[in-house]
Amino acid sequence: MELQDIFYNKQEYVETASGNKVSRQTVLCGSQNIVLNGKVIVQSDAIIRGDLANVRTGRNCIISRNAVIRPPFKKFSKGVAYFPLHMGDNVYVGENSVVNAAAVGSYVFIGNNVVIGRRCILKDCSMIEDNTILPPETVVPPFTKYSGSPGLCVGELPECTQDIMIEFTRSYYQHFVPLPQPDKHGAK
Amino acid sequence: MNKLKIASSAVVCVESKLKGTVSVGSMTVIHPKASVIAEAGPIIIGENNIIEEQVVIMHRLKDGEEWDESRVLKIGSNNVFEVGCVVNASAIGDHNVIEAKSYVGEGIEITNGCIIGAGCQLTVPEKLQDNSVFSGSSCSLSIAPDRPPAQTLQLEFLSKVLPNYHHLKKVKKPEQVN
Repeated sequence: MELQDIFYNKQEYVETASGNKVSRQTVLCGSQNIVLNGKVIVQSDAIIRGDLANVRTGRNCIISRNAVIRPPFKKFSKGVAYFPLHMGDNVYVGENSVVNAAAVGSYVFIGNNVVIGRRCILKDCSMIEDNTILPPETVVPPFTKYSGSPGLCVGELPECTQDIMIEFTRSYYQHFVPLPQPDKHGAK
Repeated sequence: MNKLKIASSAVVCVESKLKGTVSVGSMTVIHPKASVIAEAGPIIIGENNIIEEQVVIMHRLKDGEEWDESRVLKIGSNNVFEVGCVVNASAIGDHNVIEAKSYVGEGIEITNGCIIGAGCQLTVPEKLQDNSVFSGSSCSLSIAPDRPPAQTLQLEFLSKVLPNYHHLKKVKKPEQVN
């Protein structure tokens, strides 16, 4: 199935040389600590907390509206430390989701309204369904699907998950196009 | 009506939204994109609280009511409000943890040491027992033997790091803010 075009306002988005499309309405704290590795879409009102620790995403990631990417902290006997958050390639993060994970693998799908607890590890090719609450320090194995509150394994994913996610994130990027600009006379 | 009072050791990022008469106690950290909205009366936030992104703390005006200076929403000390929680409670004590994306409805009185689990929705107006813990999809209630530990170390870290990356709201004495 072909994805429908998703239009965005050209003035609202900044496109970098490596093809990242970042909305101006986002809050990127500590932007010097955030690395977006190319063809990443960050939609409006998303929050990435680079001020707490480094955040690195792979290629072709999609971070939807109102999502929060936030490095997790851990308490030690002396002080606390925020851990850097690494995300693999072709990751989709749905709307209103909160990602507090320590590591997110490649080809991971995170639905809408999801809460990923502190220091969770999402392995490659895993999927978190909408409205899931993952408790802190959960490890999601490859090719599994998690759902519910607290999040539990509800199924397995097919071996072709990697191809599906590559196809999905690529076509999302291709169909994320600027609104056609009406010319000076207002005609299409 | 819009009076802000921020203690000198508090860290309040400018991207946060404080509306109405709000007083912030010392060592309290308010992250960017958090909102504290005092509609019905002043909000007084105590010491050592952490208010994270997208948190909404509302002192909501009911139908037919007007601003009342004496109707104060008091928030105690050592509370943690995690990302995206919505709190309309009528009173909040000390040492509580309101986890990510939870909802506390109007008329609920949060006492001391309570944990509202991630995604839990509390809507029935009542006074919670001390050390109540709500968790899971059914918001099942249990009573913890002890209150959750204070986040002093995290607060120290945040109050050291956040000023390096954010502009802070600083108000020494109460002043008129438009």
